[in-house]
Amino acid sequence: MLLYVVAYDIPCDKRRKKVSDLLEGYGIRVQYSVFECVLTVSQYNELHQRLRKKVKLSEDKIRFYPLSAHTLNQIQVWGGPPVTEIPGSTII
Amino acid sequence: MRTLYVSQQNCYVSLQKETLIVKQGEIVQGQVQLPLLEQILIFGKSQVSTQAIRACLWREIPIVYLSRMGYCYGRILPIGRGYRQLCRYQQQLTQTERLITARGIVQAKLKNSRVLLRRQRRRQESELLEKVLQGLDHLVSQVAIADNWDRLMGFEGAGAAQYFSVFGECLTNPEFVFVGRSRRPPGNPVNAILSFGYQVLWNHLLALIELQGLDPYYACLHEGSERHAALASDLIEEFRAPIVDSLVLWLVNKNVMNAQNDFEYRDGGCYLNDLGRKKYLKAFLQRMEEEVQIDDGNKQPRWHLLTTQVKAYKQFVYNPAQVYQPYLIR
Repeated sequence: MLLYVVAYDIPCDKRRKKVSDLLEGYGIRVQYSVFECVLTVSQYNELHQRLRKKVKLSEDKIRFYPLSAHTLNQIQVWGGPPVTEIPGSTII
Repeated sequence: MRTLYVSQQNCYVSLQKETLIVKQGEIVQGQVQLPLLEQILIFGKSQVSTQAIRACLWREIPIVYLSRMGYCYGRILPIGRGYRQLCRYQQQLTQTERLITARGIVQAKLKNSRVLLRRQRRRQESELLEKVLQGLDHLVSQVAIADNWDRLMGFEGAGAAQYFSVFGECLTNPEFVFVGRSRRPPGNPVNAILSFGYQVLWNHLLALIELQGLDPYYACLHEGSERHAALASDLIEEFRAPIVDSLVLWLVNKNVMNAQNDFEYRDGGCYLNDLGRKKYLKAFLQRMEEEVQIDDGNKQPRWHLLTTQVKAYKQFVYNPAQVYQPYLIR
């Protein structure tokens, strides 16, 4: 499992909504168009595949930054939620 | 395993984009991200919308329906998830291969029970405990030469009876009394936690077995039938003491469980109530997510132990010459 920072810039409201809805399923929104996702390789690939269908790369920009364990410890958070951790189970 | 446990009653699980929303009346009790989820356990009476069911089927997330005490009624699985893959190999296992594996499983169960009791003994000396430890040792050696299933089950039963005859001595909380194991229905709070704990672990094992493509209805120790997922019952044996029993001791001895507030008496038995179930599940998860050192020296959450054993069983099915090695407490 790795922490990925996904940042996007999408001018079209409709596509941006779709991308953000999809990312809500995989990670936590930490800024308006920045998500942090802790994913396994297969989840990451799945996200790629599904995102690919929703964007128009002539207009949209998306970046994925995988963080290694080395740099993970050096993340600094100024304001907002803490760094996203491995998602756990939920008891209701 | 990332699981959604719905242990409260009258909840409604619905789908909203990529998220499952769990509501109780108008109050949102929780939200879970569907792409990161691995299974859903529903205890008692809660509803899941068809849209949510469909999304889970699509994503191969099993939805398990259990009674409030953890008995599994059934599960919703996608039609594509059959047991065809390994089933043939499992059926081809010979009687001898199955017997050897069954022996190993019973021995591991006895040994792990023994370790649990011995660790308790360090805290309090007791003649009875000493006798049981010796009894268990004797049974381990007997199991090694058991030449049929009836004998094997006999030794297993004798081991369990001896073990539970002193299990009560390990309880230090005067609020809880345990004189012997009673089930269907459990007769007192300690038995209620044990029963619920075994059921929960059993269902997790079943999910892992299915995830690995094994047929849960073919096993070595327990007689499989179309009604009994015997492989889950086989693989739970080695984990009863290290995972459930030790957790129960902790919950009781550390006063986490409350003998008055966490149980309810109905239908001639004693069961965990809403509060108790939630407490148990929380402690169970904490324990399963705790990191333990594994054989290669790395640290992994305790879940990993379960997955490792299911994978080891799968290896054994592919190549029976490679004997299945059950989990032993380090």
